[in-house]
Amino acid sequence: MSACQKAARPLTQCLRQSQASGQSVRTIRMFTSSSRLNEEAAVETVSFKPTLVLNPETVTSRKEEKKLMKTGVFPIGSRRRRAAIKTSDNIPFEQLPYQCFQEARKILQADREEKLELIAKERLRISNLMATDPATINGGERMKKTRLSSMNRHLEYLKIQADINDPLIKKRFEDGQGDMNKPIYRYLADRKWREYQRKIIVQRIEQLAIVPDVLPFFEPTAEVRLAFRTRNVQPGEFIDSRVSEVPARLKVQVFDKGERLVTIVVIDSDVPVVDKDAFTTRCHYLAANIPLSPTETSLPLSRATQEQLVHPWLPPFAQKGSPYHRYSVFVLQQKPGKTLDTAYAKEHIQPDGFSMRSFVDKFNLTPIGIGIFRSIWDEGTAGVMQRHGIEGADIEFKRKKVVALKPKQKARGWEARHASDKYKSLRR
Amino acid sequence: MASTHNSIRQMVSPLLRRFQSLSLHAQNTSKPSLRPFSTSPTLLAKPERKRTGDPRVTLIRYHLQHPATPRPLKFSRMRALRHWTIHRAWQLFRRKKLGAEELELQRMYQSMHETMEVLRTMDAPGTKDAGRLYRVALEKKGIFGKGGVPVEYARLQTDTPGKEAWDHSWTR
Repeated sequence: MSACQKAARPLTQCLRQSQASGQSVRTIRMFTSSSRLNEEAAVETVSFKPTLVLNPETVTSRKEEKKLMKTGVFPIGSRRRRAAIKTSDNIPFEQLPYQCFQEARKILQADREEKLELIAKERLRISNLMATDPATINGGERMKKTRLSSMNRHLEYLKIQADINDPLIKKRFEDGQGDMNKPIYRYLADRKWREYQRKIIVQRIEQLAIVPDVLPFFEPTAEVRLAFRTRNVQPGEFIDSRVSEVPARLKVQVFDKGERLVTIVVIDSDVPVVDKDAFTTRCHYLAANIPLSPTETSLPLSRATQEQLVHPWLPPFAQKGSPYHRYSVFVLQQKPGKTLDTAYAKEHIQPDGFSMRSFVDKFNLTPIGIGIFRSIWDEGTAGVMQRHGIEGADIEFKRKKVVALKPKQKARGWEARHASDKYKSLRR
Repeated sequence: MASTHNSIRQMVSPLLRRFQSLSLHAQNTSKPSLRPFSTSPTLLAKPERKRTGDPRVTLIRYHLQHPATPRPLKFSRMRALRHWTIHRAWQLFRRKKLGAEELELQRMYQSMHETMEVLRTMDAPGTKDAGRLYRVALEKKGIFGKGGVPVEYARLQTDTPGKEAWDHSWTR
């Protein structure tokens, strides 16, 4: 507790007491401004329990607000709103006495009941179909599977439709308090992600040519947020090499239910090869068998255990003169119940010349999410390379000058006729 | 234009004014050799203001940010939520009503279709009045006005539009 707060405590007590008693005897002004003995005693007893003196929902005066802000809590909403809350009895949202609103709620509730009935019916149908022998179904085992999958899809649809019109669910989702174990919140989160963030990442994948260069095709289905310490990284941003020296923190939000294991790969797809006059790839980080579920979203790369880790974090570095390097952080989902043999991977997968395509094919992985950042030589790169024992900080790449085989042609036509300085203003 | 200038000057915060006066002082102290021609204090002299940007943009921003300009009307959060609830309920209600109407139309059509089928197959083929009721029921006499012809008969009905949409050269 801060010193000033301690100092302000008796004053708070005075104010509170005067507020509580309202227009009572205490409003008589006293000669001394210091508190009386018995009040001090009361203060002593109160100061033992650390109660929150001011409610951030109901502070209205400027003084109280200031005091509250000093304790680190900020008042919620406008002063007008807080005053309204203070004076009104706290009716829950669904019981607010607005006629049209209540009628609307009745309609929505009736619809929800209908949907719940439909869900029960669909469940029964599914269990009936599961119990039937595929030999009796027209179309056999394959038809049974198809029907089951389509019925399950319809069931998921019904589950979402049952809850999508609930204002409280909407509110809870907007406040970020949605329970990601429930399908409706996952659906809403997915929709929100697809509205903007997914479009951006898809555009970056296309603009930075991740798709033909690293993978043959890729549709992101999970949201990946990338950060280095406290620095959030927007997709495709240029990151200072000193910032990316530490392993990245990932927040991966998947929108389908269940726990799964994922593999994380960080790949640099622009490593220059001077001998061949070409570029190759390099794996900067590889860890496998990391559990992930809709509720567990945080994946700090530094937290991977020795069993999970294949290649530890190699800080991104772009040597002087080489064009910008694209670093893509891939989240690859493993097949359900399958673990990746990290001991085998440690032996057989080399970081240099790492091929994402063959890795994905070999271990039967599905790419679900991607985070992208870029890096270029900056003043910190040499230090980073030196600290991590990477050689080549003194190398500077330069473009080879290509001498044209054809001699330069003399100006012809319009250019030749307007070559003199007389037409200088016409030239660009 | 002059009036707007005055009002803009009124808007300038006291902090800015103090800063300007400070900078003016600094200018005066740096050139002590130059005696001012007028005896009025330099503070009252009109400060030269730099013109930056598009004046239209400045004016728009000035008027939009003026405290006298009312803020955009907006529902409070809870009220917006209630509005949303009512909107969703109304949409649901309307969708259900439309669906019910559609179903009713379908039912009526099916019923007519069944009736016609019964009429068509009532008599055994080969009898004298076979399908008479069916034919009578399908007659459209008089329903297109007196002596009218159904519009379907005006042109031969085809699945796709003709190669030539309208024959302009045709005359009777």
